[in-house]
Formats: sequence, structure tokens, C-alpha cells
Amino acid sequence: MTTTPLLQITDLHAGIEGREILKGISLTVRAGEVHAIMGPNGSGKSTMASVLAGREEYQVTSGSISFNGKDILEMSPEDRAREGVFMAFQYPVEIPGVSTANFVKTAVQEMRKHRGLPPLEPAAFLALMREKMKLVEMDQQFLSRSLNEGFSGGEKKRNEIFQMAMLDPALAVLDETDSGLDIDALRIVAEGVNTLRTKDNAVVVITHYQRLLNYIVPDVVHVIWNGRIVRSGGKELAFELEEKGYDWIKNESPAEV
Amino acid sequence: MAMEHFTSAIKGAFAILSERVNGASNGTLHTTRKNALANLIEAGMPTPRHEEWKYTNLAPLLANDFLPAIGPSLPVTSSILEGLPFADLDAWRIVLVNGVLQRELSALPTDSTTITIEEFSENSPVGQIASTASYPFVAVNTSLLWGGVVVRIQANAIVHKPIHVCSIVQTDVGNTLSMPRILVQVEHHSSCTLIETHHTVGRSKGLSASVTEIDCAEGSSVAYTKILDDGPNGHHIGTTAVNIARAAKAMATTACLDGTFVRNDLVMRLNEPSAEAYLYGVSVLNDTQVADNHTVVDHAAPHCHSEELYKGLYDGRSVGVFNGKIFVRQDAQKTTAYQSNHSLLLSDNAVVNAKPQLEIWADDVKCSHGATSGQLNEEAVFYLQSRGIGKDEARGLLTYAFAAEVADHIKHDEVREWIEHRIAEKLGARQFDH
Repeated sequence: MTTTPLLQITDLHAGIEGREILKGISLTVRAGEVHAIMGPNGSGKSTMASVLAGREEYQVTSGSISFNGKDILEMSPEDRAREGVFMAFQYPVEIPGVSTANFVKTAVQEMRKHRGLPPLEPAAFLALMREKMKLVEMDQQFLSRSLNEGFSGGEKKRNEIFQMAMLDPALAVLDETDSGLDIDALRIVAEGVNTLRTKDNAVVVITHYQRLLNYIVPDVVHVIWNGRIVRSGGKELAFELEEKGYDWIKNESPAEV
Repeated sequence: MAMEHFTSAIKGAFAILSERVNGASNGTLHTTRKNALANLIEAGMPTPRHEEWKYTNLAPLLANDFLPAIGPSLPVTSSILEGLPFADLDAWRIVLVNGVLQRELSALPTDSTTITIEEFSENSPVGQIASTASYPFVAVNTSLLWGGVVVRIQANAIVHKPIHVCSIVQTDVGNTLSMPRILVQVEHHSSCTLIETHHTVGRSKGLSASVTEIDCAEGSSVAYTKILDDGPNGHHIGTTAVNIARAAKAMATTACLDGTFVRNDLVMRLNEPSAEAYLYGVSVLNDTQVADNHTVVDHAAPHCHSEELYKGLYDGRSVGVFNGKIFVRQDAQKTTAYQSNHSLLLSDNAVVNAKPQLEIWADDVKCSHGATSGQLNEEAVFYLQSRGIGKDEARGLLTYAFAAEVADHIKHDEVREWIEHRIAEKLGARQFDH
């Protein structure tokens, strides 16, 4: 049985300031799947996340991205989010003067409005926040603090997963969510993500290292190098990379044309 | 020319007022007026060559030929208050029209044991806190001092009801200069909340040269909020001077929300040990509005503490000025004094001039200052967008949050919420859900 893929990237070329970074990426992600995108620094992993989320400074020169059958390249970042694309930032932004609670509430109500749902009542909203905070073992006091301001690296990443839980996206892209995390924070973040997995949503994990994939087990691993996916395989590909290092891929892949 | 013309108008009005004074021409108050006029004539009106008026040229403003008015130029009814803010606030209300108390429009305490509000008498100790020599518009105000009020908070009294000074320039007969004057004596271990608002009502332009003096005695506490939210005819040059005694605490918040031209001078003197001063300011400007905030925090005694945060949002061709001086005198050891000033420029044509000045003579102190100016953080805008918040709305929310940080410090709920609402309204931004 074939269904419409959740995410279909076809021969995507994109870059920044006239420099091409993605040189023909194709990727199909179906509901219920976890994909890992691995690769050395500078290979184009984060560019892919940025293009998916709709960062304006990146230009797509050719190719397409369809999400749930809709062309999202024409959509603003907020419309992509409302359609169900979520990106967990590698470097979450600190926003003084805006409490985490008010920020999340504003975002959730925007999503509900887009989906034709009535706004959540304050009590229901508070209960939902409490439940989702437990998921990532965040203390209630974070709710009244300014968003990410003065948060540790681990707290910021847990806050990203908390937001993911609140927004309930169809596709979550985790952009190097494991970077800078100690083993406890890594476990909390991964367990949070695993709890949120359903047969209807999908996760794309972008990472340099294999260790996060011990916790979030991927169905498919892709290796990106020099702007192309040069190898795809099962979860054992991640172990092979860990063992042999990225030089193995670099040496076996065609040099830049 | 405009400057000389303005000074002559003050001299002319002083001559008329002197006749009204009659027998009291050698009294304390009239001597204060005479000295103020002498200061004014000697110094003249400041030009941009004057260090304290470097960024603000008064010549175009004073070319409006404002005529000094003492009291209403036309009969006043309660309709003059229509549409003015805080009408429903449960407060002691002092309504001044062209500087003169309007009893029938005010809500004054009659037999309170905690607070008295009275018109100046010839023996009122007015003019001891705000300097006519250093501040030309204090000299203007003091030369023509008439009809203002003395508020006295009795020792040990906690006055819960705020005191709202509503000062109106009535301009129906032409461009009008008004000189509202308030003296607030906060006796030892008492506390109060003061709100000061300025309005121009009438077809012509108004300039209010206001002076507020606040004397905080030992252990007292004052929360003072000055709001400039006037119409296009509104111009304001006001001075607030505060003396703070031992273990007393003064907090001043200045909100410049609307009106064509605003200059505020705020002077806080920490005269005795353990005094505390808090200065907060927010300016939200557009079009060609000007808001010039000058502050002085004068640490004259040891073990005192001051904190200052001024923020500005400048759109259109507006101009903002922040000049913040902190003096730490030689005796003021163990001082802690912090100042910060942040500006957001919302248009390419807006201008902000920021000048922090710290002069420290004591050697065992902790002082810091920081100033930033720039545009909205685009990465933050994108972060909000990536969570489903529209770009314009994201910008609005972030801009609002930037300004509202200042209002957060206001403890009186209705006043804080009113200011927050006006900031959001002016920015055309929605507030974050609460």
C-alpha cells in the first residue's frame, strides 16, 4: 500500500549568498518514520533544516519540497509551522521580556486558530503545560521566566522539546538537538521525543554523532556529504559511521564536480 | 529672536503678577519668584550650545509665541476632563488648569488624618528642591509661581489611594504656556503613590513648563509615575526633583507615549545613608515626535543604592534623547549605582542620542552603565514565526515586550496596565496572551 508521503524532497538545490550548499537532495519521509540525517560539519545538514523551516536568507534554486502533498516552498515560515512542520533549533533564541508561558500560549492559540479550533481555556491550557513539562522534566518555574534567557544549554533544548509537545507537529526536525548535551539531558530529550512519536507523525533527526540514535532509533539513516545524500541505510549505517569515521564516506564518494 | 521674545513674555507676566501679590511682595514666595526671574534673565533661554540642550533645539518650539497663562482663560466645566485618562480611578485628584487648582473638578481630602492637599501660601517652602539656576524652565515656572499645591503625607501614614495630578493646558484663546507646580512632602515613614499626567485641551498649541518637587523624609517611600500622552498640540518641558533622606525610597517612572515635544529632567538626590532611587523610563515615538530625557542621580551619602533603566522605541522621523548622569560624591562610599539604556530604531529615519555620564569621586563603589541601540533581532522574529506566529505579529510582540519590560516595575496594577495597553495600542501590536 502506498500513501502520500508526509515529506517529499525532490532534487533540491539551495544556497546562501549565491553559494550553492545543497546540490540535489532527494528524501521521502512517511508518517510513523524516524529518519536520521548524518554528516560532517559543513556538509549541508543545517542548511537542509533551515530551508525546510523557511529561513529567508536561503535561496532555493531548483527542486521541490512537498509536505502532506502541499508545496511548502511558497509558504512563509509561520504557515509551514501552522501546517505542522516544527524545527527544534540548534541555538534557541533568548527573548527577554517574554515569558515562556505567554510565548507558548500565543503559539498554541495561533495553531488552534489555523486548524479551526476554539482557543483553549486558561485552566485547560495550564493543565496541558504541566503535563508536557513533566515529559521533559522541566520545573514549573521556567514558565514565568523570560524565554530561554539565562537557561543552560540543556534547559534550552528541553524547552524546544516542550514546545514540540505543546504544538503537536506532524513533522519534527531536530537540528543538532544533541549538541552540547550531557548524557542525562540527552536521555530526557530523547525520551520526550519518543513519547511524542505516533503512527501519524514523523521525526527527522539531524546529528553529527551516533549517540542520540541510541535513544531515538531511526528507521532510515542518510549520510549527507558535500550537499548530496551519498548513502542511505538502516540504523546499522550509523554504527558503521561511528566506527569508520566520516573519512570513509568522503573517500568513497565522488569528489566535487 | 523667538528666545528673547519668550523671555520678555515671562517678564511681562511677572510684572502683572507682582501687582496681584500686593502686600506680600516681600514675602518668601515672592522673593523666590524674583530670584527665579533674575536667574532666567541672566541665563536666557538655552541654545544647542548649552551642554544640557545639545540635542534639542528650542528655537522652533518657542517660535510658536506661547503666552503665559495663570489659570483658565475661559470658564472651565467638567467637560474639560472628558476623554482624559484615569477618570474612573479611585484617587485623590488634583486638577490644574493653566497651573491653577480647580477645586470643583478635583477630589481633595477634607478631613483626612493621613493626607492634606492645599494651595500654596506665601510661606510655602516651595523652590528648595528644584534649582532655578541650573534649570531654565524651573526658572520660568518659579518666576510665575501661582496656584499650585502642596501635598503632605503625614508621618507614618500609608496612603493607599493614589494621588493623581491632572494638569491641563487650556489653549482656546491662543498658544498657551502653563506653569503647573506641585510640592509633595512625604513625612517620615509614610508612603504614597503619585501619578502625574499632562494634557492640552483647545484648538491652539500648549506648552507646559511643569515642576514637581518631592521631599522624601526618613524611611518614607514614594512611587511616582509621570505620563506624557498628549495630542499633537501638546508640548512639555518638565522637571521633577526628588530629595531622598535616610533609608527612604523613591521610584520614578516616566512614560512618553504621545505628544509633539517632551523634555523631562529628573533629578534624584540621595542625601543620607541607605537611601534608594529607582528610575525607569519608556518612550514610544513616531512621526516627528521628540522625547528628551535627562536624568541626574546624585549620590551624596554612603551606602545608597540606585537603579536606572530607560528604553525607547523610535519610528518615523522621531528623535529620542537619553542623557543619564550619575554623580558619586567623595563621601558616598559603598554606593551601588546601575544604569542601562536601550533603544530600538524601527525606521531608518529615526534618531536616538544616548549619553551616559558617570562621575565618581569615591573609591569604594560599584557602578555600571550600559547602552545599546539597534534594530529588532531578526533571529528572534524567525524563532516566533517558526512557532506559527505571523511575521508582523512576531515583530509587534517582540517590540511590545521590549517596551513593556519598563512598565513591569510599576506596582500599581491599574497604572501599569494602562501604560501597557497604550504601548500596545501605539505600536499597533497585540500583547502576549496572559
